[in-house]
Amino acid sequence: MRVVGQSLARVDAPGKVSGTAIYAADFALPGMLCGRVLRSTLPHARILRLDVTRASALPGVRAVITAADVPDVRYGAAVKDETAFARDEVRYVGQPVAAVAAATPEAAEAALAAIEVVYESIPTVLDLEAALAPGAPLVHEAWESYTAIPILQREGNVCNRARIVVGDVERGFEEADHVFEHRFRTSMVHQGYTEPRAAVASWDSSGQVTVWSNTQLPFEAQNTLAEVLQILPSKIRVVVPGIGGGFGGKLRLGVEHFAAFLAKKSGRPVKVVTTSEEELTAAYPRQGTIVELKTGVTKDGRITAKAGRIWFDTGAFAGSGPGVASVATLVLAGPYKIPNLHLEGFAIYTNKTNCGSFRAPSGPQSNFAVESQMDIMADALGLDPLELRLRNIVREGDEGPTGQILHGVGLEECLVKAAAAIGWKDRRPGSGRGKGLACSWWTTTGGSSGVYVKINPDGTVSLNTGAAEIGSGALTGAAQVLAEELGIDLSDISVVSADTFSTPFDFGAQGSRTAFAVGNACRAAAAELKRQIFALAAAQLGAEPDALTLVDKHVVAPGKRLSLADLARLSQQTGGGLIAHGTFIAPSTPYDTKRVEGHVYPAFHSPSFHAHAVDLSVDPETGELTIHKYVVAQDVGFAMNPTYIEGQIEGGVAQGLGQALSEEIVYEGGRVLNPNLTDYKMPTTLDVPRVESILVQHPSTVGPYGAKGVGEPPNIEPPAAVANAVAAATGLRITSLPITAEKIALGLVDARAGGA
Amino acid sequence: MTKLALTLSINGQRHEVLTEPHRTLLDVLRADLGLTGTKENCLEAECGVCTVLLDGRTVNACILLAAQCQGREVLTIEGLGREGQLHPLQLAFIDHGSVQCGYCIPAMILSAKAYLDEHPAPSEGQVREALAGNLCRCTGYQKIVDAVLAAARELADRR
Repeated sequence: MRVVGQSLARVDAPGKVSGTAIYAADFALPGMLCGRVLRSTLPHARILRLDVTRASALPGVRAVITAADVPDVRYGAAVKDETAFARDEVRYVGQPVAAVAAATPEAAEAALAAIEVVYESIPTVLDLEAALAPGAPLVHEAWESYTAIPILQREGNVCNRARIVVGDVERGFEEADHVFEHRFRTSMVHQGYTEPRAAVASWDSSGQVTVWSNTQLPFEAQNTLAEVLQILPSKIRVVVPGIGGGFGGKLRLGVEHFAAFLAKKSGRPVKVVTTSEEELTAAYPRQGTIVELKTGVTKDGRITAKAGRIWFDTGAFAGSGPGVASVATLVLAGPYKIPNLHLEGFAIYTNKTNCGSFRAPSGPQSNFAVESQMDIMADALGLDPLELRLRNIVREGDEGPTGQILHGVGLEECLVKAAAAIGWKDRRPGSGRGKGLACSWWTTTGGSSGVYVKINPDGTVSLNTGAAEIGSGALTGAAQVLAEELGIDLSDISVVSADTFSTPFDFGAQGSRTAFAVGNACRAAAAELKRQIFALAAAQLGAEPDALTLVDKHVVAPGKRLSLADLARLSQQTGGGLIAHGTFIAPSTPYDTKRVEGHVYPAFHSPSFHAHAVDLSVDPETGELTIHKYVVAQDVGFAMNPTYIEGQIEGGVAQGLGQALSEEIVYEGGRVLNPNLTDYKMPTTLDVPRVESILVQHPSTVGPYGAKGVGEPPNIEPPAAVANAVAAATGLRITSLPITAEKIALGLVDARAGGA
Repeated sequence: MTKLALTLSINGQRHEVLTEPHRTLLDVLRADLGLTGTKENCLEAECGVCTVLLDGRTVNACILLAAQCQGREVLTIEGLGREGQLHPLQLAFIDHGSVQCGYCIPAMILSAKAYLDEHPAPSEGQVREALAGNLCRCTGYQKIVDAVLAAARELADRR
């Protein structure tokens, strides 16, 4: 293939290296005001008094709004439990209470300081244990009155319990020679995108509002804004100028609604940009979890049963929690054939920030538990951890946990290649050095995508897509598919994206789906465009459409030819131009509905499989890690652009190592102790090792050229791989994240004391 | 509030700016001059996306007062290419697939330029040290480091 499968430079690279690419945080309009949000200072309290009189009278202040100024509606993706501003009660430190728009940032800050709020504290629920204790205070007294996805299993502080039941785990445990029970814990972590959430809103005289934002889901933002503003979606235009990273943190409304409300009240365009403190106290981070696993295994290493429960600390609102708890059960099953399963995921309300979706939501937490336990069991059985995995992994044609039939299963190849590349045979060389493995599976999220593809009068092609380029290069991948199908070059294609008024619908930049789904929509559009081209050319060339071919940007008949540019100009003169609408919707994945309950994500579509391996040393005194080598073997189905897939893997591993080793939003008494980028420790150039990427290609049956989603998976295995390597290096099993040097050093001290 | 009349030299051009004394170089670049290639994030000199060069050395524009730049030369990403041609570092970032979301990239390129200007033949470790103040969340840094090393070779060949 000429274009797809090649490591071509991304279409948006020149603008990004020269500083001309415009992101939402860069976007500005004349006369624009600065918007700021006043946030709760208590984790759970009644608002006794909220007075904005003094703030409104300050110089430069153009609008001050509270719950009293906006429609009284509750919204939310799974449970409608959220309001734009706290009404009567605040439920976490950081919850919006009021917002201001002023001529300058200084005036806006002064206005925030002048808003008077009097709170009365009420009992709080500060962590999972407190939320689940008998007689625990309710985060939402009125939880039963909220509208929610009907299948959710809700009760008090539990905003969903998702379950998979297969076979009979009790019988499975009886068949086992050993039953292992472990408990794991993971911390809340932030996506860490470098561009803060940002929005500019402006209303016109017809009552239409345009919002320029860095949302990953412009069409969902349009609909949610319609709900929150109580106007028709057709009155809301959402445009995504550019996104400086999202990783799931920009799926749901961030500041778009505040900008829109403030712009309406002030009659001026308003821009709202979050601060780092707002990001680390009031965004949509990954949930902290507790995981309990009970697994039965025969002495020859065959897993007979697994019972597992994972509790997600989803914060004061359900957010993505109910769905994440569902997805978790599939990851808890692991990429293994296990005849008896009883797996439950719980999303739990607490008085913390509203957690959301972070690259492979639920993946790292669940996989950390599953793959740590695999190594513990292997050691107890005297089996090589690689061998234990190979005896249990799924293979082509096997059933997934909910009964889906698996195709394109490259897991064995991933495990074997990752192990070989890390030098697995010598996995415990001594002197505090050790190697660890972890593997998993993941989904390619469905949803529909539409594209318009137009041939310009100079013969170049415009790709118009509703998807936003989040940074992964997915739209370059889709453009490569389009170029391949039309026989043109990538440089012939320009991309227009993510404008709810002028681009076709797209389900959005989420779930590793963009290149996959938009790529397939491009294939459909290319087929339709070729039909139009051949029909037009046939009349001109005096040939049957079937006798024509598209070669080197020309339609060719025996002895005659017309260029795409000729045909585009001709169509503009006679037929309104050459334009095709291509669409794609991933086919549903059949599964056994009897195996699931409260489950909003019962099967993994076009699943990917992957294995990570790491070689590291531990300093026995300080507990500090040195990573010598990191290998990822990922079954990507088909590598649409190998360089950018490596980029996804390298970046996903770096982010995963952050969660594994150093990142944690630390709460104490309902307050975040480290709401800045010095104390919230993301990896720098000095912390991230080189990553060797091995692209395994067992094609999916649905993706373009067999591709599978690649963006999220690299983020799943790093914590488990590191934990297993630390155990191999030191004998110390760390069962909570992050695996800090302090935790290792203290663990080694305890181990030496215990052994003495 | 009293305003200061500043003459700033940015990318070789003189700019007359009237601004309050507390405003930063980042405020002036982005809000007053529309030079949004210099990015904004933490505003506490932690993330590095606002890195520009002041008399050839890296500074965080978010904590540098505009008034401190009077009489000194500021280079932003917009001034890096010459006559419509991209700088070898910019080309290397494209060629090595070093760019994903791109938000950290202008600052990353300027940090690399400042370092290469003084250390034309760096090791990988030195490049990593030089870029340690620039957070990137997309790339894992590998292709960025590779691009800087390749650009160093390219620049050396031109000398």
